Amino acid sequence: MTMSEVAEVLQAEVLVKGDGLLRRVGHVMASDLMSDVLLVDEEDMLLLTSLASDQVLRTAQIVGAVGVVVVNGKPLPSSMVNVANDLHMTLATSRLSKYDACVAVHAARHPL
Amino acid sequence: MSAPGSQSPVAPDERPGLGESGNDPLVLLELIQRLKVRDVMTADLVTLPRDASMQQAQELMRQKKISGVPVEEKGRFFGLVSIDDIIRALVAGTIHESCGRHMTTKLVVLEDDMPLSFALRYFDRYHYGRFPVLNRDRRLVGIICQRDINRALLVELTRELQRLESVSVQRGGEGAAGSLYLLREFPICKYDFENAGKAANQIKQVLQEKKFATKVIRRIAVAAYELEINLCVHSDGGVLSWQVSSGRAEVIARDAGPGIEDVEWACRDGTSTANEWIRSLGFGAGMGLVNVRRVSDEFEITSKKGSGTTVKAVIYIEGGVA
Repeated sequence: MTMSEVAEVLQAEVLVKGDGLLRRVGHVMASDLMSDVLLVDEEDMLLLTSLASDQVLRTAQIVGAVGVVVVNGKPLPSSMVNVANDLHMTLATSRLSKYDACVAVHAARHPL
Repeated sequence: MSAPGSQSPVAPDERPGLGESGNDPLVLLELIQRLKVRDVMTADLVTLPRDASMQQAQELMRQKKISGVPVEEKGRFFGLVSIDDIIRALVAGTIHESCGRHMTTKLVVLEDDMPLSFALRYFDRYHYGRFPVLNRDRRLVGIICQRDINRALLVELTRELQRLESVSVQRGGEGAAGSLYLLREFPICKYDFENAGKAANQIKQVLQEKKFATKVIRRIAVAAYELEINLCVHSDGGVLSWQVSSGRAEVIARDAGPGIEDVEWACRDGTSTANEWIRSLGFGAGMGLVNVRRVSDEFEITSKKGSGTTVKAVIYIEGGVA
């Protein structure tokens, strides 16, 4: 699935298209702990998080993530959009919870 | 106001632009990523209102020795009068008519917080002599021409060269032998979460532009990011430096305090002295130093309670630098 398709599955609003919208999402990581994110060695990873901070985007750039989806419909600080633009990082928000977002992506990739 | 119009194009140059050849020095690539348009543009603007005549614009351009005048009222940007517009007005006999009527309105503009590399790409793509600069509120805040860029790069490169030369002398002339490829230092402030991570982001961007292997970039970037966050979270402030010389990249974090009482304990998985606030920001899980060690080929840490800490991570670059 591409990042664009995942965003659709998550009913997410894409705030910054960045460079990732057409990239393939091979792995999804759901975490609020950036130290854990930095341990992942997959380049085609989508980050689902309920943490709304600039550091989420900076961490995502370091690990080469496809994009970031902030879950739980959290309001984002305006600086996040600026940082995402600077880093060309795809940024979206979804009203789904982190758990439901994981279920939705899994169900879309592995339909019953 | 985004389509290219008669914005006084300059002669096209077929050579690759700065940052596009893959052979540009890393210092230069890093500079054009770090500098923003606002750092380079001319902010002290000479402008005219829409009802000023084209003749007034011509006289102003002559007096100020400039090749274009923005037309603006109370910060709202309407267009630009260029030399082309003046020539057309002279030929058509409309030099006494208003700028608002004869200015160029279809313009390509830049935003003040774009990186300089973006502006350079615009100069290459559109071949215009200048670009108006707007802020996020779409207010005119400056104008940028190639002369501004040349001047800014010369100033920054001179500063960088002086710093590199002083470092080379301190290191016994290692750089003079040609092995020093790049060295740069970033001051990191305690609890400055607005900027924490910026240095590592810039390091990664430069390595990507220089087309280092993806896995090498990732390891250097992770080490730099973890050490930068550590400086921000645990130290009283310090310096993150990195250098790429033949065959190896070194990332070094130095601070002047408060020091680590038990270094061995600090390097264990899951041990941290971070408070709840730091943890709420997604850090302080006690994985930082462990992760730096994981991505490094060589790892050293020296510290003493009450004085500073130095952490050095070395990553071997297989096949040398690109």
